[in-house]
Amino acid sequence: MTQGLEMRSVSKFYDAGSERITALDRVSIRVEPGEFVAVVGPSGSGKTTFLSIAGALLKPSEGEVLLNGKNIASLPDKQLSDIRLREVGFIMQASNLVPYLNVLEQLLVVKRMTGKVTPADKAFAAELLADLGLAERMKHYPEELSGGEKQRVAIARALMNDPGIILADEPTASLDTRRAHEVVSLIARAVKSRRKAAVMVTHDERLLSYCDRICRMEDGKLSPMEPAAGSVLS
Amino acid sequence: MFLALKEMRHSKTRFVMIGIILVLVSWLVFILSGLGNGLAALAASTFKNMDADYVVFEKGSNASMGKSLLSGDLTAELLALPDVEAASPMGIIFGSAVRESGDPEEFKLDIALVGIEPGSFLEPAAAEGTGLDAGRPTHVLANESMKDEGFKPGDTFALDGTTEKLTIAGFVRDQTYNHIASVFIPIETWRKLAFAAPGSDKGLKDPVNAIMLQGKNIDPNAIAERLPGTETVTRAQAVQGISGYKEETGTIFMMLGFLFVISAFIVGVFFYVLTMQKSNQFGIMKAIGAKNGFLGKAVISQVFILSLASIAVGILLTCGTAAVLPKGMPFRLETSWVIVYSLVLLAIALLSSLVSVRTVVKIDPLKALGRVE
Repeated sequence: MTQGLEMRSVSKFYDAGSERITALDRVSIRVEPGEFVAVVGPSGSGKTTFLSIAGALLKPSEGEVLLNGKNIASLPDKQLSDIRLREVGFIMQASNLVPYLNVLEQLLVVKRMTGKVTPADKAFAAELLADLGLAERMKHYPEELSGGEKQRVAIARALMNDPGIILADEPTASLDTRRAHEVVSLIARAVKSRRKAAVMVTHDERLLSYCDRICRMEDGKLSPMEPAAGSVLS
Repeated sequence: MFLALKEMRHSKTRFVMIGIILVLVSWLVFILSGLGNGLAALAASTFKNMDADYVVFEKGSNASMGKSLLSGDLTAELLALPDVEAASPMGIIFGSAVRESGDPEEFKLDIALVGIEPGSFLEPAAAEGTGLDAGRPTHVLANESMKDEGFKPGDTFALDGTTEKLTIAGFVRDQTYNHIASVFIPIETWRKLAFAAPGSDKGLKDPVNAIMLQGKNIDPNAIAERLPGTETVTRAQAVQGISGYKEETGTIFMMLGFLFVISAFIVGVFFYVLTMQKSNQFGIMKAIGAKNGFLGKAVISQVFILSLASIAVGILLTCGTAAVLPKGMPFRLETSWVIVYSLVLLAIALLSSLVSVRTVVKIDPLKALGRVE
């Protein structure tokens, strides 16, 4: 059984009036556990559609999406939410945290969605947060956190259910350079140490050095891109 | 429950504000129901507390005591009918009691004189003093409220406009008719008072207003067939026939009905707006795997907690109100009705929250990615 994420000639069409818009055009990609792939491209190129399909938020019009060897392309909505809960960790654009939960509860609520919260879950959440340098902030609410801290909480939340794949959607959109580096390096580290298949959609070229591979999305087509020559590694 | 409580703790002000509205609504519901009960009791408790199942009136009287006149002889005929276990005549007139104390202000108290046969099933048990006795035709049983006006057992009062004097043999509880105190008197005495004017008895022998029957299986139609010129109704129908009773209770129930509708909209609209405001948040949670059930439960339990707390506060406030209301106010809170109205309010709140749940179900998790393509 193949681990990680695999997409086989996935297409997505939208009907807009009499026109048929191709948002994704026969996209194929394979991301192994422990691999961190960046997808770059201009806005409107289909990056978000790509991420939505990979993350079981959207069904493709054609093609196969394999999460840990399981084809999710044609599953009903109910099972898709289960797949999202157990197999996918989302890191979304800045501050998509629940405003009335403190940092620890942000993580535990994910466990609550599956049922009961055990002491082991609490210990795991605390470990994740400590790992991301948030040990001191566990009882704080999102409004008391900086942008970088919020994104680190989002990373921890994405890892909470020990999913097979991590999907990051412009995780640095609202961060300054230093914090953006900090956040992406943390994602990269977690991906390596926890053996996750990770995809980050970004238009922030400064951060590509953290990724193992870079793909370019243009007009719904995905193509591999050589790492920028002489890119700085921290 | 977890999400619901966390959010309520975090945004106290908005939930307290809506809670206050719900408290006021439930408070008003309970006060109105207490007032409705009190008024209904005041209007008809003599009827309601009577141990009778059916009432026989004169045909065409619309179940109204005032319009009905029957011969007391019918009592024996009714007793002979199948399913009639007991029958006893009754009559009601209104009068004014004048205290025998040389009161310079000529104190008068409106009373309803209820004529019954001493010792019959219509005679209420005396809470104080003794009951009626056919051998003492001017000794009466009066409602307790007359005590508040200074009457005591053994007191004698005159009836305004007559030469008759009545003595209070004892007091009974919860006996009022048409909002005034009932005074039970032997039916012979009652006849003398009621038909003092010649011809007012229409020539009937031993005239009475109505005959009360006991017997669960009585068939009113059969009685109408056997005794033409009568109409038989249940006791509840007879209560409805008391003048002003329907109008009074109808007004209260209409207000209660409006309050229920209002509370449905308050809860429904508040949580709908709240849900719309949070649709992005719900989208995020759906994106990370929350099922509709999980989020729907959060909304419903929020409504449940809020309504339950508000209703509880409403009940406390109502009890407080009942304690400070003046004694003469017709306010009677019955536990059973408080429970019923609480459950109705709760059910209405939960039902109206379903609108919000539907909204939650419709939210697209793609919203979380910030731009739906």
